[in-house]
Amino acid sequence: MDLNYTEEDVAFRARARAWLKDNIPRESRPPHGDAIARFDRDWQRKLHDHGWAGLNWPREYGGLGLSEVQQVIWYEECARAGAPNYINTTYIALMHAGPTVIACGTEKQKKYHLPRILSGESLWCQGFSEPNAGSDLASLKTTGVVEGDQLVVNGTKMWTTDGQFADYQELLIRTTPGSERHKGLTWVICDMRAPGITVQPIRTMMGDEHVNTTFYDNVRIPLSNVVGDLGSGWKTAMSTLAFERGTGFIGDQLALYERVNHAIALAGKTRLEDGTLAIADSGIAGRLALIKADTMAIRAMTLAQISELQQGGNPGPKGSIMKLMVTSTSKALSHLVAEMVGWTFMEYNDNKNDHPLTYDYLWSWVYTIAGGTSEIQREIIADQLLELPRAR
Amino acid sequence: MYLALDTHEQEIANAAATFLGKEFPLERLHREHGDSRRMAEFSNLGWLGLSAPENAGGSGLSIIEEMLFFLEMGRIAGPVGVLTQILAVATSQTVPITCGRLINGEVQVALVVERGPQGKIRLVGDDTASYALAVSPRAAALFELDLSACREVSCLDRSVKMYDGDASALKQVLQTEGDGVWLRAQIDVSAMMIGVAERALKMIVAYAKERQTFGRPIGSYQAVRHPCADMAVRVEVARCQLFFAATAFNEGQADAAMQIDAARLVAERAARENTDSNIQLHGGIGVTDEFSAHILLKRANLLWRLFGSSKKNMKSLLEPGGEFVKERG
Repeated sequence: MDLNYTEEDVAFRARARAWLKDNIPRESRPPHGDAIARFDRDWQRKLHDHGWAGLNWPREYGGLGLSEVQQVIWYEECARAGAPNYINTTYIALMHAGPTVIACGTEKQKKYHLPRILSGESLWCQGFSEPNAGSDLASLKTTGVVEGDQLVVNGTKMWTTDGQFADYQELLIRTTPGSERHKGLTWVICDMRAPGITVQPIRTMMGDEHVNTTFYDNVRIPLSNVVGDLGSGWKTAMSTLAFERGTGFIGDQLALYERVNHAIALAGKTRLEDGTLAIADSGIAGRLALIKADTMAIRAMTLAQISELQQGGNPGPKGSIMKLMVTSTSKALSHLVAEMVGWTFMEYNDNKNDHPLTYDYLWSWVYTIAGGTSEIQREIIADQLLELPRAR
Repeated sequence: MYLALDTHEQEIANAAATFLGKEFPLERLHREHGDSRRMAEFSNLGWLGLSAPENAGGSGLSIIEEMLFFLEMGRIAGPVGVLTQILAVATSQTVPITCGRLINGEVQVALVVERGPQGKIRLVGDDTASYALAVSPRAAALFELDLSACREVSCLDRSVKMYDGDASALKQVLQTEGDGVWLRAQIDVSAMMIGVAERALKMIVAYAKERQTFGRPIGSYQAVRHPCADMAVRVEVARCQLFFAATAFNEGQADAAMQIDAARLVAERAARENTDSNIQLHGGIGVTDEFSAHILLKRANLLWRLFGSSKKNMKSLLEPGGEFVKERG
């Protein structure tokens, strides 16, 4: 085992640090409306113009093809510099749709979509979950019927994050009539401006509208938009999810470290009801120390996982361990901070920039539910890592 | 940057697992004083000098191999005397004669686990011990020990002998300044705790596949599956942090002490909560003497009392403004 970076890695870090210092936007990301997408596109275009787009994408598709170690370095430097969070309206395009098209798409799909994703020109959203198919994704019911060289789609998708801004959607539908579960599904590129699509915002308890319900009323999609084969959409979809559970959240794992240090600094100047400093309270100090230790361990686990990836194979159930740990630690942190700041916590005007601590507290449940609930992650660990008898 | 075992490290881990699994199965601890007078088996195979320099009669390996050995030791609740002996070797490296006698097991060492008021001391060790070791964050010291001046106190962990006495039973032989042995002790004891936590997981997973209630194996109920998944998470998290911390210590990185404190904290949680869950999920059989779950619980209780409480260890973690990205390499 070896914690030292190579000369190239050290040079890469210096280059990333210098560029970020001069180029990160001065203004913060707007909390509402179209300005959100504009801000994200501008940042992505800037990254692209300066040669920082598509960190993990292969070079032949316009990416940087960075090693996992250099990806980690980049995200560490972003966290350090306070760069815009990469989990934004470009996330699905860069981290889901792009890698999926690269893995399973046709030459024509690659040629059209990949450059537009990298430059921030096209934003994507996800169309997997439905009102009755979330954790149990394979029970989805939205249908696509083949008519000539088109699919005619009818149904409803839910939790479409940033659907109001998206140009395209990675859409998972049932194309074999009467098929069940994982069989008969198709992964298709849906143009969000196609006639018959209605996007209806879902207001969340944070007071924002980042998720939507999407309705499909006889939406016509060319068959040439199918990624992978007709009927093998589950396989295509899983290549995306495995990617997300592997390295897709590296930046988030590392940004947690910055948040913990902010919380420690805050505890050093926040007085509790009885006048004592929060950090001097043994209950708070004990919880904070454990959260810090967990955060350090998450970083170690990230490095261990990318080292194991170098030996080949995919993260599998270890990605579920990562998701559980990152989201539960993040939750513990935002809840501790919420307790610590007393009545200040109750000030909230639905603007995350004005009241980030309250927003983080509310967001913590989104985190432990979205992208596979903590309960589903435990099921994956029980099935795949511990090989316990199936519950279902 | 590489945080997984290389071929050589994996070989050491395998060798330790093979030896300990064969000679020291967990079930041995159901017999009275399971580990008494078995130090020679460790010295004969060179485990006591694993990470001592070659010119002192050791094998010259690093803390990484030592940590891997203690992970395996944890899994079989291995003799605590071996931990004391290896730390005594580390303490006496500048005194080749003493060091050599410790490596070949000629003299054996008890560990001073508590120093109370009026010179009262408490020791953990075999009845053959003629030396004692005391380790603090400031120094580690080796003493000649007069065990006949001490009184045996029966211990919750039956495989361990515990003695009370006072400082007059100790005569200092040598002292090593600094926190080197202390940090090594933290790594070793954290490794043992993770080994215990892993064994608890293995025990319940095996049982959950076999034991039936309401016509199904209990491992098919989410009330059992999810706590098992949480046990696996605790082990993996602690293992990764310990690998990082031991490597940072090995390389002399500036933040090694803080990394070790974090490792100890998450290792302790894994040992405490996994030995608890293991008993609970077993149901009635879990609280019986004939079943091994209590051995792990009692061993975990012993281990997390060694080398300071976690309270002491968490101080470094709360220092403000810890730089996020350390300049390494």
